[in-house]
Amino acid sequence: MNRAHALRHRARQTVHAARQHPRLTLIAIAGLALLAAAWVLTRPGAPFGPQDGTWRRSQINRDLYVGLDPNYPPFAEWTPDGIIGLEADIAHEIGRRLGVKTSILIMGYDGLYDALYIGTVDFLISGLRRNPAYEEWVHYTPPYFDAGQVLVSRPDAPVTRWRDLDGKTVAVEIASAGDQAAQRWQRRLHALDIVRAMLPQEAMQAVQAGEADAALVDVVSARLYLAEHDDLVMAEDTAVPEEFVIALREENFRMIAEVEDVLAEMRADGTLDAIIDRWL
Amino acid sequence: MIPTLHSISSRVPPAIWRTGGWLVRLLIVLIALRPITPAPAHVTLGPPQTVETQHPAVCVHTRLTDEVEEWKVQRTLSMVREMGASTIVEFFPWPYAEHDEGRYDWAHFDRIMLHARNQGLSVIARLGLVPDWARPPVVEKVTTLTYLTEDYYDEFVDFVRAFVARYGDEIVGVIIWNEPNLGIEWGNRPVDPEAYTGLLRQSYTAAHAANPDVVVMGGALAPTVNPDASGSALSDVDFLERMYEAGAKGYFDALAVHTYGFTRPAQDPPDPDVVNFRRVELLREVMARYGDDATPVYITESGWNDDPRWTNAVRPGQRIVYTLEAFEMVEAWPWTETLCLWNFRIPFDLNNRRDAYYALVSSDFHIRPVYEAVQAYARGWESPYLP
Repeated sequence: MNRAHALRHRARQTVHAARQHPRLTLIAIAGLALLAAAWVLTRPGAPFGPQDGTWRRSQINRDLYVGLDPNYPPFAEWTPDGIIGLEADIAHEIGRRLGVKTSILIMGYDGLYDALYIGTVDFLISGLRRNPAYEEWVHYTPPYFDAGQVLVSRPDAPVTRWRDLDGKTVAVEIASAGDQAAQRWQRRLHALDIVRAMLPQEAMQAVQAGEADAALVDVVSARLYLAEHDDLVMAEDTAVPEEFVIALREENFRMIAEVEDVLAEMRADGTLDAIIDRWL
Repeated sequence: MIPTLHSISSRVPPAIWRTGGWLVRLLIVLIALRPITPAPAHVTLGPPQTVETQHPAVCVHTRLTDEVEEWKVQRTLSMVREMGASTIVEFFPWPYAEHDEGRYDWAHFDRIMLHARNQGLSVIARLGLVPDWARPPVVEKVTTLTYLTEDYYDEFVDFVRAFVARYGDEIVGVIIWNEPNLGIEWGNRPVDPEAYTGLLRQSYTAAHAANPDVVVMGGALAPTVNPDASGSALSDVDFLERMYEAGAKGYFDALAVHTYGFTRPAQDPPDPDVVNFRRVELLREVMARYGDDATPVYITESGWNDDPRWTNAVRPGQRIVYTLEAFEMVEAWPWTETLCLWNFRIPFDLNNRRDAYYALVSSDFHIRPVYEAVQAYARGWESPYLP
């Protein structure tokens, strides 16, 4: 007797048993229906489920509290005119689209998660990377910026992937994540020469001078340098990603959904890119 | 007729009984397995090691105070040895040893000392903090762990005496208190060089009574340019001057110094209005002015930070260059004994990003390029990070 046949036999037996014991079957079906109803009614946001108090407060008071460490221009900087920068602009734009007033609360980096945990702020936008150790109670949005290591090369000989570097020379900033990645690539490719520079700008200068085919540097340095040097191009994707994300409390399911929707809208309509271009 | 258990069970089809039976068995197995957890890592001491180094001034400040697992203590110290650092500075808080007044618990300190000794490392012990019982009750006054009044100097000094009596033969010396020129390190009170000098004098006498050979280190002042003692901090240079005025000379065998480079190179010249690495030379001038230039200096905290988010940090390559230059300078100064980098590794880096970017090794023991560079320097190897 093959397996399919056995399963069919088992199913027939079960149906037969159900016919023989209609009351038991009814009780079982009713039990399952009750369980399903309980599951539906206790889902987040359902009448008997947990409510998102943060979202509710935000909607009633028309406010939004955002935590960041203003110690990292051009992402966030504390000036006499207030907190300015890329992350401040994203926070204000999210608030504007949610129809609430954004208040940015300044805090040291080490206090960010504590402030989120105790509810001082509704979300954090401060160069945070996904941290599995916090994921029990923190929800991270899709990235708003990738600050990783990117290949920069000359437009007439573009290098966009690390595999393109076989037999070539890459310039890196000493001891950076790019340097460490290049050492890994060196072991995987047939040949790769590494030129080390003290600063990322010097690594890109090596490409301009023809001493290297590409530079592997962080996106922030690359964007700032390329804004003043149009004889270089940057690969579209990072070779070593370092994604910055917004952190919210996992329990704030409605706030999470709304913020992620707004972030997706900002990405789709070009607002996010415009903000990034404004600062980098 | 009331159905009996037997009559109900006889109506349930055998297929359901069988499935239910297996589910119950599975549940029992799961419940039985639940309390099973991996055994703690067994730590074997291993044969005694020696540090291989060409630069004995290389030293690191470890943070094993809050390291719970013994294998991590051992691993940390073995990595220090492999890097070529012959000395560590470690913090031994008073409340950890004397949680209850008059009853010492040395277990954790013993563990650290045992593994340091086995790795061939010299230890400079930093002593500080105050247990609950030596501070006012919370209902009277809310105080921090750094709040020590003169009423409890005797009790702190008793701890210093007991510590030196226990470990005096195997340590280089003890540092009395940490950064007393910062209000936050002085119980959130205005700083008080005269009061600190009193504490230092008493501690010195007690430590030497317990072991005449122990090096008592004073100062450990935070590098700061703040000129006003009434505020949150007082310039380290001014503080040291007032220590001498208060009679500190002769009550410390060495000056412990904290000197950080922040964004400036190691060679940046000393300037009273600037916090940089060579600020230590200003402290040395004060010592000379008070006729105390025979007293050596131990730099017990120093270094550069390469946090990409911090405005007071440098790039990773600059950090390596400045650090190695600092070692060379210290070795050229006849009055300095060590240069201890803050910090080697912190047990948990999630909530302490600044210290995580000062660390040479991550909390999960991933070595950072600066570790490899210092190791190459200390052991006379070719540097893996050269321009």
